[in-house]
Amino acid sequence: MQYVKEILVGGKSLIIGLWITLKRLFKPIVTVQYPRQKLTMTPNFRGHIEFIRFDDTKTHHCVACGLCARTCPSHVIKVQGEKTRAGDLKYGRQYYIDFSKCSLCGLCVDVCPECTLQFSKEYEYVFYHRWDTVLDIMGRLEGKR
Amino acid sequence: MAGLVGLAIIAAIVPLNVAFLVLLERKVAGHIQLRPGPMEVAPHGILQTLADAVKLLGKEMVTPLSTDKIVFFLAPIIVVAPAFVGFVPIPFSPMMQIRDVNVGILLIFSFSSITVMSILMAGWGSNNKYALIGAVRSVAQNVAYEIPLLLATMSVIIMTNTFKLGAIAQAQSSVWYIFLQPVAAIIFFIATTAETNRAPFDLVEAESELVSGFHTEYTGMRFSLFFLAEYTNMVIAAALFTVLFLGGSSGPFFPGMIWFLIKTYFLIFVVMWIRWTYPRIRFDQLMNFAWKVLIPIALLNLLITAIVLKVI
Repeated sequence: MQYVKEILVGGKSLIIGLWITLKRLFKPIVTVQYPRQKLTMTPNFRGHIEFIRFDDTKTHHCVACGLCARTCPSHVIKVQGEKTRAGDLKYGRQYYIDFSKCSLCGLCVDVCPECTLQFSKEYEYVFYHRWDTVLDIMGRLEGKR
Repeated sequence: MAGLVGLAIIAAIVPLNVAFLVLLERKVAGHIQLRPGPMEVAPHGILQTLADAVKLLGKEMVTPLSTDKIVFFLAPIIVVAPAFVGFVPIPFSPMMQIRDVNVGILLIFSFSSITVMSILMAGWGSNNKYALIGAVRSVAQNVAYEIPLLLATMSVIIMTNTFKLGAIAQAQSSVWYIFLQPVAAIIFFIATTAETNRAPFDLVEAESELVSGFHTEYTGMRFSLFFLAEYTNMVIAAALFTVLFLGGSSGPFFPGMIWFLIKTYFLIFVVMWIRWTYPRIRFDQLMNFAWKVLIPIALLNLLITAIVLKVI
């Protein structure tokens, strides 16, 4: 009796399984066809850092204080400032990060006194060289303009 | 002459059909897993298998050093032969049959057991532990499942008193044997799934434990010959089920050939559907299932059929 019961119960469960996959077969697909369709990144997504462009100056607010470079645990950031005249304010001129070492901890974004850094939504980076991972953040902001 | 033409048609149909089935399999697998399957080569990936075939043709045929050269070389050639011969006695319609062999079913069964031998040759010749384990499993599995397969077929044959496939198909013009012999049909279906090494009985090439079983060492065109044979065996198994239980080419409106193909491809779809539903079973479960469940039930079914036929 146990033998027959086992076969019948097992057979029933097999049919239930088939029914589930059959329903799946006619459901719409859920995957995104990547190169043709792209998802918008969530606000919390962390790409590499980039500058925010402010409307008042039409550019970043970086003053090249170097706090981001100093707080970075992996020494990723290199920032160079410039003063055009004595007594003027210093502003950021060159800003490079070595993305291969970046762990996206976000300390630079937190520490920035001018609040001019943010995480980009960039996720499509392919590098052929280690040297290509050095990104010119300032140039990136210029290029976006 | 007719035989030659038929063979030529088989030689043309078999690879095309395999290309279509591989694509179908990938599409079915994709949509069951809520993804689209191959989409890149041509619209909806319809030429994907063609591209794969070209890739496989272009690949180097690597022969590992420590193989048994002759056996290793012969195995993929022998595996294809029964797949081709199996088409000979199948009645696609009363007109479309290459040769109505007197012992059509026996011919198919005897040639399909050559497949097992070639798998064993491939496993042995590869000189690779995974290949050998896969091949040994294949032999044990095929020996176990051939018995319920033949017993289930026997219950149909004692109803029709003939081994001719055409005659068996014609005997079902009033009622299909799947309604008269449902148990035999289920057993036949399970056993053919195991015979063709399809999931959930694909222990022969269980990739999670045996890399890819008996064809681990095969590359390029040799590998694709194994692939070709597997899918062609699937077609033959489905066609045999159609003839034995689904009334062959009988059906309303369309010509017989169309009905036959609809039934066959539906069965192949069911096999694929099963593959992407169930997990692979363990080897002791496989053996227990054959010897403790399928064979007793098939014997009982045969006995009851014989008694009923005697009484009526």
